[in-house]
Amino acid sequence: MSDGLNITPVLAAGSNAALYTFLAYTLAVFGLAAMSNQLLKSKSFMSEYFLGSRSLGVWAFALTFAATSASGGSFTGFPSKIYSHGWTLALWIGSYMVVPICAMGLLGKRINQVARISGSITVPDVLRDRFHSAAFGILATLLIVFFMTFNLVAQFKAGATILTTLLSDVELYHNATASVNAMTADVPFLAAVDPGYLICLFAFGVAVIIYTTYGGFHAVVWTDVMQGVVMVIGVMIMLPLAIWQAGGMQHATEEMAKMTPPRIGTVTLQLSEPQQDSFVLQAQTWLKAPGEDQQKRLFRVAKNTSIPPGGTQVQEVDVVEITTPEEIARISGQLERDPVTDQLPVEYQLTEIDVSEFEYGAGKKGVYVVGPGPHKSNSNGFLPLSLAISFFFMWAISGAGQPSSMVRLMAFNSSTTLRRSIFTVTLYFSFIYFPLVVIFCCARILLPGMDSTTDRIMPEMAILLTKNVGMLWLAGLLVAAPFAAVMSTVDSFLLMISSAVVRDIYQRNINPKASEKTVKLLSYACTFVVGSGAMLGALNPPQYLQDIIVYTGGGLAACFLGPMVFTLYWPRANAPGVISGMLAGFVAHLSMYVAGIFMFEDFFQNVRPYQLFDFDPVVIGLFVSFIAVYVVTLMTPPPPAELVDRYFRKQ
Amino acid sequence: MNAVSREPARDDQPYDPVFLNARREAWIIFGVWVACLAWSVPYCYLYGYPPSDEEFNPETFSTYMGVPSWVCWGILVPWLLSNVFTIWFCFFYMKDDDLGVANEGSDLAEEISEMEAEQKGANA
Repeated sequence: MSDGLNITPVLAAGSNAALYTFLAYTLAVFGLAAMSNQLLKSKSFMSEYFLGSRSLGVWAFALTFAATSASGGSFTGFPSKIYSHGWTLALWIGSYMVVPICAMGLLGKRINQVARISGSITVPDVLRDRFHSAAFGILATLLIVFFMTFNLVAQFKAGATILTTLLSDVELYHNATASVNAMTADVPFLAAVDPGYLICLFAFGVAVIIYTTYGGFHAVVWTDVMQGVVMVIGVMIMLPLAIWQAGGMQHATEEMAKMTPPRIGTVTLQLSEPQQDSFVLQAQTWLKAPGEDQQKRLFRVAKNTSIPPGGTQVQEVDVVEITTPEEIARISGQLERDPVTDQLPVEYQLTEIDVSEFEYGAGKKGVYVVGPGPHKSNSNGFLPLSLAISFFFMWAISGAGQPSSMVRLMAFNSSTTLRRSIFTVTLYFSFIYFPLVVIFCCARILLPGMDSTTDRIMPEMAILLTKNVGMLWLAGLLVAAPFAAVMSTVDSFLLMISSAVVRDIYQRNINPKASEKTVKLLSYACTFVVGSGAMLGALNPPQYLQDIIVYTGGGLAACFLGPMVFTLYWPRANAPGVISGMLAGFVAHLSMYVAGIFMFEDFFQNVRPYQLFDFDPVVIGLFVSFIAVYVVTLMTPPPPAELVDRYFRKQ
Repeated sequence: MNAVSREPARDDQPYDPVFLNARREAWIIFGVWVACLAWSVPYCYLYGYPPSDEEFNPETFSTYMGVPSWVCWGILVPWLLSNVFTIWFCFFYMKDDDLGVANEGSDLAEEISEMEAEQKGANA
């Protein structure tokens, strides 16, 4: 397999594996939800529905923590970045070496203990009870609802998009798309929505909403365990296949070292004679054009383009031009040996070639194996030094500041479970993240010219690797990993928003005497309504969703980490101090984005916040938040003795 | 919400050992994070970020078992070492503390009793 090049259209197999996988998944999660619902009947509803009765053992706690942390981005955005920027992603993700011990160990034991002392069920509960401050609880609740609602809409879109990608070659899906298109063409607010996306959003949304609403926290945890197992198995199968098919790791890295970034743009395709029937110029078809010094120019079509009957010209075909001479020679040789695959069956010419160079790395060898990595639009490259430092904060430290992680830390049953779970998640992440870097570095050799459709690199690799060894059925399992990842994130966020509304707003502020029956009905209703609302929001989502995910993740950490650390570890901390820290973190982080609007003319085309001292906004937000808590606390009176004794002294 | 007294904290009472253990363990974890940051980022920058005007030669590019050397020593080796540290920390250092029994509903009960006291006060 040393040649390592596959030039057949990898999705032409029309595999139904993804459809079967999705159906099997849906059945399994419904089964788990039904089992979880049985538990709700035998235990305190509120504690069981939102916190699993603080009873999670090692496997459940470890895998729900890992699966929730590993959002859909781990299996879509991360592989896409590795493919686009090469080995630099090893540094980008490097802090995952300490993410489990930081995210679980920094706060885990203490937040679990404090939540037990007060009987807290949610993160705002902990903060409110620790300082006996309703204002602090309400502020925390509002921030969680604010950030998580945006994030939930974005995650629903991500789930539907992944499903769209997975099902794109299933015949049943195409038939359903045509039917839905006919049905929605006259519905004003649905007419503009892609029918395929609509089907996938509905299928994904209904499945997640029903099992989360019906089963509560335990359903979420058990499905997380199942999804976590799928993820690690998927990666462990792909790793040896990718290395072997790329001709070994040494060969793959040597080839990458010779690579120069591609050019991306459009060409006009001029056919020599009109075609009688309409046909589709398939994505990934190779096109050739004469170049200088008898060197051919080689382009790969980025997306399917229709050619009408009788047509001889197609304008603005999206293409990626390969620029590495060795790669051009290798692919050209392969195409000449096997002229029937992946090439146009008619004579053609390419005119009006309009392709752009990368801002960083154009024409430079080695950019895929050394830092800062090539970049299409940033002249500093992908990962300058300051950003590398920011990402060490981002993953390990701000990971500890996510309320969705904190609530899991309140749910384990003993400190023995915590110790063993940190070890388990450490191994789990080691088996996922570095191997993903290796797999998708190999993808640059195995699937060249996919630089403008890198979001599809995960399913494309899964299908390619399994097809080459004659085990296409395995692809279903592999492509399930990203789907599992996003599902496990969505269900956790859904439950967090629901708990914020029912527990933190209704029960703690409006009606503390609410009966269990009322709380139960309200919890079911709220989870269902929030989920349905997010699904409707994702019908026509705002444009910059990926940026919203980044913003909300950083914003939550900037708001919650500092106040929570002082809440748990500093007896002198008081309510004015932690409230100031939370607000200061929020404002400092937000102001970096607001400054970006004024400083960068292209902010709304390419969302980028202002980076003070070249650091990511999350670093600034965390710094300001920690300082604010410390300074304001010292300027205000000490906390009541009763609270200090209750949470810090031996009882 | 003013039911909590503002008596000074009882300094004679010892701190809860769970709090002390958790705080000590958190400091060690933070130290490990700092150590990883202090090793990985500078090492990768020194050995994996050649100056932009330097000509790159693929033939002399250094790898170890197919992984670029700077990634191997800057990320992979520290990753393995931090896993070894985690094993030591989890199985030989971290204390098995008793986290106590959950006082389910105690916060709500407290709120209800305060609310009732307020109402009684208002009625009186």
